[in-house]
Amino acid sequence: MPLKTVKKDTADTLTLEWILHVKNYKLTLDKARCAGCQICSLACPKEAIKVEKQPKAQGEKAKKAKVDIDLAKCNFCGICDITCPYGAIKLTLNGSHDLSVLAKESYPELVRDIKVDTRQCPKECDDCAEACPLGLITVSKIGFGGKPVQNLTALTPSERSRVQINLAIQKEYCPTCRVCEYKCAPGAIKVRKFMEGKISIDQSKCPEGCTDCLDICPITGALFLSADGKVQVNELFCDYCGACKVVCPVDEALTLKRTRILHTPVHSGAWNKALERLTSPVDAVKELKATGSKKAREAVCKRFVFEEVIR
Amino acid sequence: MSQPETGKQPAPEPLRIGVFICHCGLNIAGTVDIKELVEYSKTIPDVVYVKENRYTCADPGQDEIRKGIKEYKLNRVVVAACSPRMHEATFRRTVSEAGLNPFLFEMANIREFSSWCHPSTPKEATERAKDAIRMAVAKARLLMPLQTIEVPVTNKALVIGGGIAGMNAALDLAEMGFKVYLLEKSESIGGHMAALDKTFPTLDCSICIEGPKMVDVGRHPNIQIIANADLLKVDGYVGNFKVKIRRNPRYVMADKCTGCGECKDVCPIEFPNEWDMNLGTRKAISVPFDQAVPLIYTINKDYCIECYKCVDACGAREAINFEQKPEEIDIEVGAIIVATGYDVYLPYDMPLLGYGKYPNVITSMEFERLILAAGPTGGRVIRQSDGQKPHSVAFIQCVGSRDKNKYPYCSNYCCMYTLKHVVQLKEKYKEDIEVYVFYMDIRSPGKGYEEFYDRAREKGVNFIRGRVSRIDEDPKTHNLILHSEDENLGVPIEIEAEMVVLATASIPKKGSDELARILNLTRGADGFFMESHPKLKPMDAPTDGIFFAGACQGLKDIPYSVSQGSGAASRAATVISKPTWKIEPIVSVIDESKCRNVTAKCGICADKCPYQAIKVEPNKPAQVITASCHGCGTCVAECPQDAITQMHFTDAQIMAQIRAALEKDPEDKILAFLCNWCSYAGADLAGTSRFEYPPSIRAIRVMCSGRVDRDFILEALRLGAGMVLVGACHLPYDCHYISGNYKMKARTDALKGMLEKLGMSPERFRVEYVSAAEGVHYAELIREIDAQMHALGKEKIKAENAKLKPIIENMLKRKKQ
Ligand SMILES: Cc1cc2nc3c(=O)[nH]c(=O)nc-3n(C[C@H](O)[C@H](O)[C@H](O)COP(=O)(O)OP(=O)(O)OC[C@H]3O[C@@H](n4cnc5c(N)ncnc54)[C@H](O)[C@@H]3O)c2cc1C
Ligand code: SF4
Ligand code: SF4
Repeated sequence: MPLKTVKKDTADTLTLEWILHVKNYKLTLDKARCAGCQICSLACPKEAIKVEKQPKAQGEKAKKAKVDIDLAKCNFCGICDITCPYGAIKLTLNGSHDLSVLAKESYPELVRDIKVDTRQCPKECDDCAEACPLGLITVSKIGFGGKPVQNLTALTPSERSRVQINLAIQKEYCPTCRVCEYKCAPGAIKVRKFMEGKISIDQSKCPEGCTDCLDICPITGALFLSADGKVQVNELFCDYCGACKVVCPVDEALTLKRTRILHTPVHSGAWNKALERLTSPVDAVKELKATGSKKAREAVCKRFVFEEVIR
Repeated sequence: MSQPETGKQPAPEPLRIGVFICHCGLNIAGTVDIKELVEYSKTIPDVVYVKENRYTCADPGQDEIRKGIKEYKLNRVVVAACSPRMHEATFRRTVSEAGLNPFLFEMANIREFSSWCHPSTPKEATERAKDAIRMAVAKARLLMPLQTIEVPVTNKALVIGGGIAGMNAALDLAEMGFKVYLLEKSESIGGHMAALDKTFPTLDCSICIEGPKMVDVGRHPNIQIIANADLLKVDGYVGNFKVKIRRNPRYVMADKCTGCGECKDVCPIEFPNEWDMNLGTRKAISVPFDQAVPLIYTINKDYCIECYKCVDACGAREAINFEQKPEEIDIEVGAIIVATGYDVYLPYDMPLLGYGKYPNVITSMEFERLILAAGPTGGRVIRQSDGQKPHSVAFIQCVGSRDKNKYPYCSNYCCMYTLKHVVQLKEKYKEDIEVYVFYMDIRSPGKGYEEFYDRAREKGVNFIRGRVSRIDEDPKTHNLILHSEDENLGVPIEIEAEMVVLATASIPKKGSDELARILNLTRGADGFFMESHPKLKPMDAPTDGIFFAGACQGLKDIPYSVSQGSGAASRAATVISKPTWKIEPIVSVIDESKCRNVTAKCGICADKCPYQAIKVEPNKPAQVITASCHGCGTCVAECPQDAITQMHFTDAQIMAQIRAALEKDPEDKILAFLCNWCSYAGADLAGTSRFEYPPSIRAIRVMCSGRVDRDFILEALRLGAGMVLVGACHLPYDCHYISGNYKMKARTDALKGMLEKLGMSPERFRVEYVSAAEGVHYAELIREIDAQMHALGKEKIKAENAKLKPIIENMLKRKKQ
């Protein structure tokens, strides 16, 4: 069969496909998981992804931005898949999710550094599961003999003491917002954000009554409404995805900057460029200095015509 | 380059014309009264010597001419004998042997145009012969000595297209010792043959026989391959082409890449491989196939993510350069061979066959890639829908070919490659596969081809004569149901097959229009390049110094493409093996003082020249590129200022012929302008075939009907001609000068309208198309025109002419000499 290139856009998913006689490349965007944050479009080496702000009617809540991928430009490398903080994009080759850019170290993996010590978990607690804004945590309790426990109160104290707590986190979808860590009283979970940065809102610039950013922020608690009706930031929970920035109607009201990204070590021009766009040329140089990549650092400096800022 | 002299009058020495009249045994003398011709010729002013010969073309006859020139100091020679198409060259040589410029010679055709076509009216035949001599003398008076033009030749060649045809042409020329540039658009030479599995009828592995040839081409010290490059511009003319080429960046440097392929192994990115008909993929840095020549890797920037892993892998070799820019290359060559091959039709627009819709319908070219061991499936013929080997395969012939709505021509080799495919399948899978072939006719006219057809039949292949009208798919099994008619049995049939292979048409290569524009080539109705003559010059383009090889000129299989490659090489060698190239000096010359482009924007001549042989720059007189001029004279007829002269066919010479022809009883005469290549040759054939027609016609030979000036027709009518005829090559493709006949048609259509408005009977001016083979047609035509002339009657013609004359005289005022 001749090459068939297919694009399907439904309410739930956007699918792009290369169907070759002997191979099948498939890219799927899960619209429910997508926050409309723009990270993918910044990472894409082919500039194939457009993130478009959606119009909203008067009095309605803001809608998250819509992601569209150009079938003619996409080369099915899977970089968007790797970079999406919410794991909303999946690339498969013949149904398998093994990404060649990872295998060949042409692109790093984001490090989702989440440590859980379930020994510290109180037996009756499932606060983390309730707290996770994306519902990625399931807490299960296993009784003696490996049977799941339905009702803790029905157990004897000794049986209770032998109950084991199991925490399953769907890591691939986790943006490392740290909400669970803060909600966990005994400190059983430790999360390190894979994106670091800075976010602030200049409330004086916010239009009266506007809560657009808050409406679309996928992390409950990262933004909140103060008594004066203005949106405030709780930088503790912010994952710096920037979905808010996309929908903000005023240019200067919201500033968001990513400064570092936690990733596995690679030596790759594609990553350097992505990093530059995701953070800033200056921050990228900082990172490249840290990883000792002299040649790449010089390339960025040359392109942006600035002296190497930090020696 | 020596320019021919402009249309000045001949040297002022007194004219001394000799007329030699040939008996041609009884061929002429049997009908025409030679005595009378001799006596008459003596009375023509400026004729100082008349001699009759039994056979002028024989040695004694030629001696007479040489003797006459010497003894009587003749400075013009007229031979009244057979057609100039027969012996003009002979007699030109004769006169030049006697020291006379060969262009001071003219022929009067009194055999084909007189004795042979008017045998039952000898008196009239003699009259016509007398007029022919008078006309020839009239032209001879104005003849000018001309020098054959010589241009220096660059002894190098360019071959465009590195398929099997182009490679063979390049190798042959290189072996003869010429430097050859081989321009290839894609990354590697090899063409379609490099993508085939086996070749009919011997089933030898295609790349195994082509690969070594590709290596030979790559290694030959006389061949420079310029691959991954486009032809931008070609200037100049035979022997002296200036060519501009753009080499596109590979981002890998040719001189540093060792072809090791280590970069490919680390590259993470794949994209559909066009070489595999997109059935499989290749890496963003790769070669299209392992045997590529030149073996240089290429980065496809459309897909590359610039991770630079390849740069790391390449390491110290440092062959990869992301900054590489396109590079322009200028070369000079003496001859060009076009061998750009063909494309395969993809029948997306035939929805009833389901190509592109049903996963198990493929084309024959895709089948080649499937069954090829080095192909994307490792040689396993499998279905896209389930990856399984099919148990039944149906082949459909003539998809798009021999189809009035698509490509009316036969694609030449599809029957043969399908026979190859079915034999391959049967030999590979034996009883495990059922094979059907739906065909219209099986065409197997090559050496060993019919025997190959027998081999397929012996293997138990089901041949069904009939066109498949529709294919449906079983949505569950993805099997295909073919609806057809078995024409041999006359019943509709339905066959279920697990895979369908469409033998689709081969079509003109994409970009042929662009190439035609750059090289000034013509394309036939089917889109393939037109040769100069379908039988006698099958490898020559109409433009001198350009030749064709392979499928670009018309579809042909490998053996034929190879022979044509060698043929084109030897044709090209006829040009580049010479230090200089001779051009007949019957070219156009522009009188710069008359050209109106100096003061106003004109350029009509450049626009009408079929060969782009005229250069027009603002505020400068137009300039003829003499070596490109083919001497059709179209520009001469078109120039509104009469600033252009065609040497040896000047306005003055032709006007003199017209006047001589119509000296007596013009109302009874048909004055004809016949183009040398078709209508004059057709008239000759009428003569040689002894088709009789009325002797009222007087014919003037021009090289091309495009030369026929409006003023010639007006002058003829002014002088009172009964009828006027312009004979031309058939539209659309017969013109020897590409399109001179079209230019003539546009011009005469307008003139016709005007003459009719002025009250002339429309039948009195006709444009007719007569091929060199249409002697019968010509004779009938003259009979018809003669009858019309008589039907109109002398009086009516005279009356019309009286009315026309003052108007025409006014129009021709500027022509008065
Ligand atoms: C499915 C199939 C099977 C076949 N099997 C057989 C077989 O078994 N036996 C057989 O004898 N024949 C077979 N043929 C026919 C065979 O392919 C042709 O006879 C042969 O390829 C013609 O060679 P070519 O050099 O004229 O053209 P091509 O092979 O088409 O080569 C043309 C070359 O010119 C290049 N080119 C094109 N345009 C330009 C340009 N503007 N500038 C520079 N370069 C250019 C192309 O890239 C190409 O390399 C088969 C054909 C098909 C479709
Ligand atoms: S830079 Fe491009 S060609 Fe080189 S390895 Fe990376 S993707 Fe492949
Ligand atoms: S139109 Fe004919 S005669 Fe005139 S320059 Fe062109 S080729 Fe020569």
